[in-house]
Amino acid sequence: MHTQDFPQLESVERIERGFEAHGYVCSRKIATAVFLAFQLRKPVLVEGPPGVGKTELAKTIAVLLDTPLIRLQCYEGLDEAKALYEWKYGKQLLYTQVLKEKLGDLLKGADGLAESVERLHQFGDIFYSEEFLEPRPLLKAMQQEKGAILLIDEVDKSDYEFESLLLEILSEYQVSIPEIGTVKATTSPMVFLTSNNTRDISDALKRRCLHLYIPFPSVELEERIIQTRVPDVQNKLRHQLVAFVHSLRQLDLKKAPAISETIDWARSLLLLHADELDEEIVRGTLNVLLKYEDDIEATDPTLRSLLVGEGTNQPGH
Amino acid sequence: MQSNLVSFIQMLRSHDVRVSPAETLDAVEVAAALGYADRELLRDGLAMTLAKTAEEEVIFLQCFERFFKQDLADFAAPEPTDNEQVDTTPSDAETEASGDNFDGTPETALEQAAQDSPALRSLMQDALMQNLLNNERNELTLAMNQAAQQVDLQQIQMFTQKGQFTRRILDAMGEEQIRRAIIELEQAGNPTLPLLQRYRDMLREQVRDYVEREYLLHAEGKTQQFMDEILSKTRLNNIEHVYVGKVQNLIRKMAKKLASQYSRKRKQVKRGQLDMPKTLRKGIPNDGVMFDTYWRQVKKDKPQVLAVCDVSGSVAAYAKFLLLFLYSLQDVLPRVRSFAFSSHLGEVSEYFDDYPVEKAVELVNWKYGGATDYGNSLLDFANLALADISSNTTVIILGDARNNHGEPRLDILQSVYQRAQRVIWLNPESRKSWGTGDSEMLRYQSACHFSAECNNLIHLERIVEQLLKSTR
Repeated sequence: MHTQDFPQLESVERIERGFEAHGYVCSRKIATAVFLAFQLRKPVLVEGPPGVGKTELAKTIAVLLDTPLIRLQCYEGLDEAKALYEWKYGKQLLYTQVLKEKLGDLLKGADGLAESVERLHQFGDIFYSEEFLEPRPLLKAMQQEKGAILLIDEVDKSDYEFESLLLEILSEYQVSIPEIGTVKATTSPMVFLTSNNTRDISDALKRRCLHLYIPFPSVELEERIIQTRVPDVQNKLRHQLVAFVHSLRQLDLKKAPAISETIDWARSLLLLHADELDEEIVRGTLNVLLKYEDDIEATDPTLRSLLVGEGTNQPGH
Repeated sequence: MQSNLVSFIQMLRSHDVRVSPAETLDAVEVAAALGYADRELLRDGLAMTLAKTAEEEVIFLQCFERFFKQDLADFAAPEPTDNEQVDTTPSDAETEASGDNFDGTPETALEQAAQDSPALRSLMQDALMQNLLNNERNELTLAMNQAAQQVDLQQIQMFTQKGQFTRRILDAMGEEQIRRAIIELEQAGNPTLPLLQRYRDMLREQVRDYVEREYLLHAEGKTQQFMDEILSKTRLNNIEHVYVGKVQNLIRKMAKKLASQYSRKRKQVKRGQLDMPKTLRKGIPNDGVMFDTYWRQVKKDKPQVLAVCDVSGSVAAYAKFLLLFLYSLQDVLPRVRSFAFSSHLGEVSEYFDDYPVEKAVELVNWKYGGATDYGNSLLDFANLALADISSNTTVIILGDARNNHGEPRLDILQSVYQRAQRVIWLNPESRKSWGTGDSEMLRYQSACHFSAECNNLIHLERIVEQLLKSTR
C-alpha cells in the first residue's frame, strides 16, 4: 500500500479524525501506531485486556480505507492447511480420472516406454499449479490486487510452530509454496495481530512487529467513546456510568469490565429508560458489566459506596 | 540526533530492555517518519518499536523522560539565597527591571569592577563568561557537551566518580579563570564579589546536574548488572540478609529464562507404525484416496523430579535457593515432589501447594531444621517414596553428606540409584573437602549418576538447565 493511494493515512491527526468519523474514538497512541504501520510497512501486534477494541481497530481501518478485511482466527492446532493454502484434492482426483482416458490419445504413436515418459514430461506439473491451489486467509491477503487488511486474531492461542510460519509472511510479505515457488504480495497488506497475553509471543515474532498496548481508556476517552457509540445517553447518565465503571476497575475482579461492556451497559440503561444511576438499577443490570458470579457477589456490598464515591469524585457534573 | 538515539537505546539496554540491532534501525525509521518536533508522538512511536512488553514499556517511559528531559541546561541563575543579594538576580530581565546596588546590569557592574582587577578584565573577554552573563543556553550547553566528550564522561562507572568528573569538566570549560578573578576580588574587597561567586556556583551546579544525569544514563544500569554478576558468584550462605530479596529476583529471572527456553512442547512422532483408522478417516474427503498418512504417536510418560534437601544449619541456605529455583520452574519442570530432612525426613510438597514459594521455604526450614542423620533420613525417604521411583524419575539430593559419624545406609541410596533414571547429588562444599572428617560424600558419590559442587547461583543455574535437558 502506498501513501498516495490512501490520503486518509497521511498524518496522525488525519487518522484520528477518520477513525472518529467511523465511530472509533481512539487515543493518539493508537493513531500513531496505524500511521507508523503504514509508513514503515510493518505489522502491528496489538495487546491488551479483552474488550478494549483490538479487533475493532482492524475492522475500522478496513472500513476507512475501503479495502477487504481478511480475518484469521487462531486456535490451538491451526496449521498451514487452514491458514495458508491447501491443494484441491477433489479437483486433482477428478482431473486424474479425465487424464486417464485421454492418456491413450496423447501417447499414440509413442515408441516404447522411454518416449512415452518423455512426452508426458512435456506437459509439466499441472496438478501442482495455482489452478489447484485453495488459498486460505494468509495467502488470500497476499493475492489482493489493491491490498488488504489482514487480521490475525488472538495469535497467542496458536502453537509455537504456527508463529514460525508467520515470520516469512510478516517480514517479506511472501509465502513459499514448495511445489510452486514463492508467491509475493502484489500490494503488501496491512497486518494486525492481536494477543490477549495468555502466553508469551516469541521474540522473533515480536521483533518484526510494532508493539501496541491498548490499556483501559481514561475517563475522558471512554466518555467520548460512549458519546459516539450510544449517542442517546444523556450527559449526566454518561458521566455517572463511566465513573462507575472506572471505580469498578479499581476493584480486584476476575475480569474487569472493558469498553465493550461499558457500551453494552449504556445501551441496556437506555432501554430501561434510566436517567441516572441508583442502587437498584445498577444491581439489576450488573450482570451486563461483570461476567463472573464471584465478581458480582464481591461488588454487591460495596455498591452503595461506589455510587456515593463517584458522586463526590465528580462534583462538576 | 541519530547518535543520540543510539545512546538512548544503550541506556534502555542497560536497564534490561532487550533491543536488537534490527530494532534500532526500526527506531531510526520511526524517528524519521514522525520527526522530532512532537515529543509525545516520538515517545509513543519509539515505544512501539523498542518496548515489546507492557513491563518494558514502563521502563521505556521512565528512561525516555530521563534521557530527553531538558536538553538545554538553564543558566538563568536560581533565586539568590542571601537576603542582601535579593535585588541582584543576574537573570537579565529581572535585574534590569529592579533597581539594584549596582549601576545597571550585572555586566556593567562587573565591567566597572574590572577596571581595578586585571584578572577580571581578562575574564570579561572570555567566551564562557560572556555566555554566562547573557545566559546563552545553547552555547553553554554545547560547551558543556564538548567538555564532557573531552574528559570521556561516558566512561563513568561508579557513583564515586561523579565529583571527579564534575571537576574535570569544569576545568575543561575554563572555570579556572573565574576562580582566579574571585580570589583577586576577594583580596581587593570588591563589592561585586558575591555576584561573580554566584555565576561560578551556577555553573558548578549545572555541571554537577549534567554529570548526575549522565551517570544515571550510562552507569546506573551497569552498576546494577555488576551487582547481579557479583551476587550470582557469591556463595549462597554468605549472601547478606539485605541482598536476599535481590537474589530471589535473580533466581526468578534465571528461572524465567530457562522456562522460556524449555517451555516448547515437543511432539514426538514415531514413524514405522501406521495409524490406519486415522489415515482412512482423513482420506474420506479425497474420495477414499489416502493422500496423507498418519503415524502412531508414542506418548512419553511425564517425568518427575524428587528433590531431597538437607535443611540442617550448615546447608539450609542452599536448600532454600534450590527449592526456590525448582518451584519457580514449575511451569516447565514436571511434577516436583520435595522432601526435607535433618534428623528425620518428611515430605514438604504440600507447603508449596498451599503457600507462595518464599513462605513455604521458610516453613520447611523451621519444621525440619536440626542435627543431620543421613542414614535415618534415607530410610524415611525409602519408606515414603521408593515405590514411586521409576525409570523416569530424577532424584536430586542436596546436602553436605556430613553424617556426624553415623551409619550412612549407602544400600538405600544404591537401591534408589538402581531404580531412578538419574540421581544427582549437589554438595555445597568444595570438591576438595569431600570425604574429609565425617563427610561420607565419596561413598555416596558412588551411588549417584552425577555429583557436583553447588554453592552459587551460577552452579545452580547450570545444574537446573542440565536437569531440564535430561528430563524432557
